[in-house]
Amino acid sequence: MHFFLLQESVQHTAEAPSGGLLSPNGGVMVWTLVIFIVLLLVLSKYAFKPITKAVEEREKALSDAIEAAQRDRDDANRLLQDQREQIAAARDEAQKIIADARAAAEQVRGTIIEHAHGETGELLDRARREIVAERDRAIADLRLEAIDLAIAGASRVIGKNMDDQSNRQLVESFLASIPSSTAAPRAGV
Amino acid sequence: MLQAGPAIDIITPHITDAHAIDYPCLHPGFVCELALPRWTPVHIGPLVLDMSPTKHVVWLGIAAVLCLITMLMAARAHARTTFGGSRAPSGFGNGMEAFVLFLRNEVVIPNVGPKGDKFTPFILTLFFFILFANLCGLIPYGSTATGNIGVTATLALVTFVVVEIAGMREQGAGYINTIVYWPHDVPVPVKSFMTFIMTPVEIVGKFTKPFALAIRLFANMTAGHVVLLALIGLIFTFKSYIVAPAPLAMAVAISLLEIFVSLLQAFIFALLSAVFIGQIRTAAH
Repeated sequence: MHFFLLQESVQHTAEAPSGGLLSPNGGVMVWTLVIFIVLLLVLSKYAFKPITKAVEEREKALSDAIEAAQRDRDDANRLLQDQREQIAAARDEAQKIIADARAAAEQVRGTIIEHAHGETGELLDRARREIVAERDRAIADLRLEAIDLAIAGASRVIGKNMDDQSNRQLVESFLASIPSSTAAPRAGV
Repeated sequence: MLQAGPAIDIITPHITDAHAIDYPCLHPGFVCELALPRWTPVHIGPLVLDMSPTKHVVWLGIAAVLCLITMLMAARAHARTTFGGSRAPSGFGNGMEAFVLFLRNEVVIPNVGPKGDKFTPFILTLFFFILFANLCGLIPYGSTATGNIGVTATLALVTFVVVEIAGMREQGAGYINTIVYWPHDVPVPVKSFMTFIMTPVEIVGKFTKPFALAIRLFANMTAGHVVLLALIGLIFTFKSYIVAPAPLAMAVAISLLEIFVSLLQAFIFALLSAVFIGQIRTAAH
């Protein structure tokens, strides 16, 4: 600052260069041009280029990192989705297996019961058949016995020994003439 | 009361150029002058160039050196701390990077348009060079080189040349349309008339822009110093120590404002240069 120049001891020894405040000095202009161009060249090569390059690299690194993070998150999401689907599938399968097993068990049970029913019926039938057969045999035996008893009784009554063969025929024909009313209820058993 | 001395103009020597630079010393007034070497003027045809260094040239050089040191330190900070660009630098490097990135992303690329990045070094150099030259005027014994019309005119001329070359490279033969106004969507008589009227306007417009750039920077930097010195001068006008605090307080306020103006004018110069480059690249007549 020049306000001390009020002191008389300080003199402006050097005269002002040509040109006043508003007229440009050619020498200053050339100097300005030279300084500016040198500055432009040096700064663009050694300052702005490295700074811009570093910034661009950093921006690239950042965007790469963000992209990688996004990709990882997407992967993780997809894996999670897969896992969920697999768990759901496994659960469905388990349910299906249980249902199948239940159905199979039901079927087996049905078969067994049916089979048991069938067997019971068969046993009953057989028992019935045997009973009928036994009764028929008992009836036949009873008939033979009755014939013998009737003959014996009749021979006593008439006191005369009848021809065994002809008597037998007589009684048999008599018995045959008896309506098989005794045999009728047999069919209903 | 101060001793009344002979009236001396303290403002004009401060804002004009000289063949001497001031430096601090213990002589009365705490200022000494170092005479700069005088060289015989160079004759180039009709031109007479006095290439002797002047005060403003020296301070311009100091501003350039400070600018270089600052930016190279920032670049080195980048190389040292960023580990191949994967991390942001801290502190000083980061601060300069903020300047660089702001100018690149908010000034150059939006205004110059696509492929504008190749103009970034030019705009950045303009900004930092003007900024440092402006700020050099605010330090004691310093001088504002950008308060010299020759300096601002040269910077504006450089911008003018860059703008015109950018226009030629971008538009090719269409560049002629930025000089000769020739609208395509009106009948020929109207067109001829318009060309006759508008071509001078276009040409004047071309030169007005750099002229405005030069005058704006020069006037802003000079005006601030004139105001400062006028305020200081009030003390001597009133010849009283009692009034001194008021002008001093105002001078401090103006100095703070000058710091802002230094930044603002550097930014405006850079911004308008970017805008002019963008305009001529997209101009379609």
